Amino acid sequence: MRDALAAEYALGTLQGRARRRFERVLKEDPALRWQVDQWQERLLPLSEGITPVTPPARVWRSIDARIQGRARPSGIWQHLPFWRWLSATAATALVAVSVYWGLWLPTHNANKEYMVVVMSDQQLRPMMTVSWPMEDIGKAKLRIRVIGHQEMSPDTAWELWVLGGAERKPLSLGLITTHETQEVTIPSELLAAVNAAWGMAMSVEPKGGSPLGKPTGPVLYSGPCTKI
Amino acid sequence: MLDNNLLHDLMARSALREQRAFAELYRYTGPKLFAVALRILRREDWAEEVLQESFVSIWNHANGYSSSKSAPMTWMTAIVRNRALDWLRRPNIEAGDENYDVLVESVADEGDGPDVQLGKAQAGRALAECLKLLSNNQRQSIALAYVHGLSHGELSEHMKEPLGTVKTWIRRGLERLKGCLDSNPSVG
Repeated sequence: MRDALAAEYALGTLQGRARRRFERVLKEDPALRWQVDQWQERLLPLSEGITPVTPPARVWRSIDARIQGRARPSGIWQHLPFWRWLSATAATALVAVSVYWGLWLPTHNANKEYMVVVMSDQQLRPMMTVSWPMEDIGKAKLRIRVIGHQEMSPDTAWELWVLGGAERKPLSLGLITTHETQEVTIPSELLAAVNAAWGMAMSVEPKGGSPLGKPTGPVLYSGPCTKI
Repeated sequence: MLDNNLLHDLMARSALREQRAFAELYRYTGPKLFAVALRILRREDWAEEVLQESFVSIWNHANGYSSSKSAPMTWMTAIVRNRALDWLRRPNIEAGDENYDVLVESVADEGDGPDVQLGKAQAGRALAECLKLLSNNQRQSIALAYVHGLSHGELSEHMKEPLGTVKTWIRRGLERLKGCLDSNPSVG
């Protein structure tokens, strides 16, 4: 019966109040969600006979306008709007996190330049920081601080990604834990990417890390690099 | 055929809030998804609106998308179809003034049925094979519901059969499709 409903929901013939009610159940029932996914996959080939139609350019213009401000610019990170974006959303986070910094940076290194990434969740709450000294990066380690006591879902892993630029794909810096402070050695082949990074992201992956060498699961936290 | 690996990559980068990747995702999938919305809504202005809403939603939820669950195109098509169906069934909106008979005929005109025009992908071939096991009525009602978004009532009206009969066609047809696809190793 559940599968029959999942099928009619995916087909579109489950309607009106029944459809609404079904959608409410779906939100809290991953098994049912899976059945719907399966049906959507089964029925998708029915749309293959539909000839594509190029939408008018105004559609993309409207989409683009609506996602502005919720986007990270690609590549042109030194561009002015980026800093405006940064100051609007992340400056408060930086101040909040600098409290940790006082404790975390050895005092005799106060003159050194550091790169700091404040990584936030979807609500722009700072959840994690990554930092490293700018000079002598070859010997440097990434210092990671997970803010608060966080838990990882069982049978998953947290994978850290460096975002090197507009054309480059996210590159894996490896798996991290939920420990409050940890250090990660930068793989030598990624030194250049870390040097040129404009941001970092952390995604939830299957145990052992992404099987595809790129993020496959939801991105929990991400944030831009800032020199301090 | 859209390259699944490329779409995975673009989805992942969109989840990381890379606008350029998202623009590319739109460029690759927009025309197909626009056509999907157009078939259901049959009005260009509505289809534009639904496409816009869908892509804003895709952007907002890209980081919740998990490739382990379904392919990017399956996920995006479901978003567009759901929004189109919701739009169609908003109270006080009549789905255009065209007669559905035209649609029934257009499906008939498309050859021996939807199986013929299914793509060359493996999943498409498997579905096409399995659709052949269905009765004409089962096959036609499922295709009309999926492609044109017809409800049970609309199907009943235009296939000139009682509501109960149409519901049974759909239910039995879907059961049979599932049985066939699940026993066919080339699928999913």
